[in-house]
Amino acid sequence: MTSTLETPAASPDASPDAREVRVAIIGSGFAGLGMAIALRRRGETDFVVLERAGDVGGTWRDNTYPGAACDVQSNLYSFSFAPNPRWGRSYSEQPEIQAYLRATADRFDVRRHCVFGADVTSARWDDAARRWHVTTTAGEFRARVLISAAGALADPARPDIPGLDTFAGTVMHSARWEHAHDLSGKRVAVIGTGASAIQVVPAIQPIVDSITVYQRTPAWVVPRTDHPVKPWTRRLYTYVPGLQRGIRAFLYLFREFLVIGLAKNRRFLRPVAKLARTHLHRQVRDPKLRKALTPDYTIGCKRILISNDYFPAVAAPNAELVTAGIAEVRPHSVVTRDGVERPTDTIVLATGFSVTDLPIAKRIRGREGRSLADVWSDGMVSNRSAAVAGFPNLFLLVGPNVGVGHTSMVYMIESQVAYVDDALRTMDAEGLDVLETTPAAQEAWRSLVAEKSKGTVWLAGGCASWYLDRHGHNTTLWPDFTFRFRRLTRKLDRENYVGVPAGAPASRPEVAA
Amino acid sequence: MHTVWRRVAAVRTPDGAQLHAVVDGSEDAPVTLVLAHGWTLAQAAWDDVADLLAPRIADGELRLIRYDQRGHGRSTWPSPTHPDAEISIDQLGADLASLLDQLVPTGPVVLGGHSMGGMTIMCLAAARPELFGDRVRGVALVSTSAGDLTSDPRSAAGRMAALKPGVLNAALAGAVLVEKLRTLLPPSHPRHRRMVRELLYGADASDAMVLAGAEIMHASTVRAFITFMPALDEHDKRENLSALTRVPVEIFVGDEDKLTPPRHSRQLADALPDAQLHQVERTGHMLPQERPQLLVDALLRLLEAALDDRAAA
Repeated sequence: MTSTLETPAASPDASPDAREVRVAIIGSGFAGLGMAIALRRRGETDFVVLERAGDVGGTWRDNTYPGAACDVQSNLYSFSFAPNPRWGRSYSEQPEIQAYLRATADRFDVRRHCVFGADVTSARWDDAARRWHVTTTAGEFRARVLISAAGALADPARPDIPGLDTFAGTVMHSARWEHAHDLSGKRVAVIGTGASAIQVVPAIQPIVDSITVYQRTPAWVVPRTDHPVKPWTRRLYTYVPGLQRGIRAFLYLFREFLVIGLAKNRRFLRPVAKLARTHLHRQVRDPKLRKALTPDYTIGCKRILISNDYFPAVAAPNAELVTAGIAEVRPHSVVTRDGVERPTDTIVLATGFSVTDLPIAKRIRGREGRSLADVWSDGMVSNRSAAVAGFPNLFLLVGPNVGVGHTSMVYMIESQVAYVDDALRTMDAEGLDVLETTPAAQEAWRSLVAEKSKGTVWLAGGCASWYLDRHGHNTTLWPDFTFRFRRLTRKLDRENYVGVPAGAPASRPEVAA
Repeated sequence: MHTVWRRVAAVRTPDGAQLHAVVDGSEDAPVTLVLAHGWTLAQAAWDDVADLLAPRIADGELRLIRYDQRGHGRSTWPSPTHPDAEISIDQLGADLASLLDQLVPTGPVVLGGHSMGGMTIMCLAAARPELFGDRVRGVALVSTSAGDLTSDPRSAAGRMAALKPGVLNAALAGAVLVEKLRTLLPPSHPRHRRMVRELLYGADASDAMVLAGAEIMHASTVRAFITFMPALDEHDKRENLSALTRVPVEIFVGDEDKLTPPRHSRQLADALPDAQLHQVERTGHMLPQERPQLLVDALLRLLEAALDDRAAA
């Protein structure tokens, strides 16, 4: 039983009733669970995981749309400390990944630290008490350290289309799929052609009456080498764990080669572009459709997608790809800018997530009462993607510039968890109440990332992607080899932080520095 | 904003083939025009005609349905659970009947067919004569034939028919290889376009026309080419055209047509004494591309007559 998780009276001023913890983690996806498990493994138990939903899993819990699957092989897309020899496919589908996360949470006994239904509505740094005041829909918490693992692919982005609210049929975002809504025989509009769309379109195309895919920019799509894992391979993984680790290492290295093309020299992307072009030519014969599906930007500028059934699905007899741009939505139809109106029963928004303006940033307020969103209004800045000046004892997981498009996000998350864990241990070892990074360190990190981003395909590839903020800066992706990120975040860069020892009078880090 | 309705539909046939149809215009339009394309083409062959009709569709005067014949364009072959599905022009006529049943269950219809699409309409007329006069109120037969396509060994069709079945079967078995070889000489290649122009187009055809047509044909499969070739050879509806005598028919042929030379259209006109025959100068087999305005004028005449009919009835 989780008797320790009794929720205090839910009054905003009831801070005396607030539950006191050493660490509060927001979110229980790969990042939140990874952090919680790291704490547990070194014996730390005084922490909570604040989860707005009713279960662990984050992005993999929420994205249950038909066809949802990972674009990275499961042998790589999993925790290094929790290999799973029983993956059913080389690239797992959502239910299996979600089951893995649940099983891993149970195995490391972190579920009892989770407070479900706790949507963080505000988190405020109290300089006098040297605590974070965290208000959630499941009560108040006071935490010495706040770790946001709220993630980048957490809050669905809804497109600003005139009339969308007047639509009489069902509108659903791919990340909030309504399974009770039967699509068979429906005329379905899918808006968007990103990573979610190319999975959901082939999954629903055979059952719907007709499917119209509204495309703004075509994606580069390469073949998916997905296959079931044979039972004997699974047995081999069970009895020879080193083999699975070896394959994981191979997959990691293989994917890291892509960085050479993406971030160093775009020439090396040419064979990948050729592969994608051949894939399209093989799967789509219609010359007009082929043209509409051919990107005009350098491969890799937007995320490279992998699929064997997306092209056949949009070329299917009941499918239409529309490139004219949506002008408005009417109660029973979608109207494009060329004046064509298509009768529509259901609209699927495969329009992605709010990435460059993380919604959690509006709710976290630092030392001077300013929200993270305010501080970031000119773009997200941080030291080592994990700490922000003016926000003492706050650490970010899956924050700015840790995103990757070519390999496993879990590798980046584990790098970050190790860094944050080192920060926590440093605080303990030095008896610090407060640890805060400096604006100078932040500036140094910003210019390091900007320098590395120069000439990369994301900036120079001729596309507008969700990787870039509205100023055209790369604030989401790590623009280099991922092992370089790991090296840079292996240990806490103590020199870039100002610490206030327990009992010492409050002092502004600027002064102390 | 003034809009034009459009939807795509997959017409399901009894043997599991799905036909890709594009429906332009409102369900409330007083009359529907259905256009059927020819061998190794696709509904895009009617694009020029459709473009000219667009303002009238936008004004609600008619609804237009274009579709890909089975095995062509984006339409599929029969499902693998029907391995013995017949490949014949009669089957295409049955497909057109399925399309009418599913997409135009009521209201007057005008049919237009180019080449194999014209034969498709003749097969529909033979199999479902009751539709003609009542539902189908007018027909345009373009660069087509009622049969006897290959008896003249000097004609292009005759020369193709002279290919031995063994050759065709070998090509079908090696379709993957043949497809690869085809990519060596794409429509962008001048020699490819020259061959297409010589076989299919008349003297006035522009290079852009030839390229557009060549691209449509290049997208069709070796399988469609080979499996429909004997079906075209077997097509013979010369004694089965009576249903077409009940509706206005306009017949078009280019005087330089090498695949279905003018004698085929004259034969049709003989069998359909009330039909209007138009032999168009300096024009080849690709009449919908070469003379779209001419066809649109005829189609509008037929559409108008279809509505007058209804008013009279």
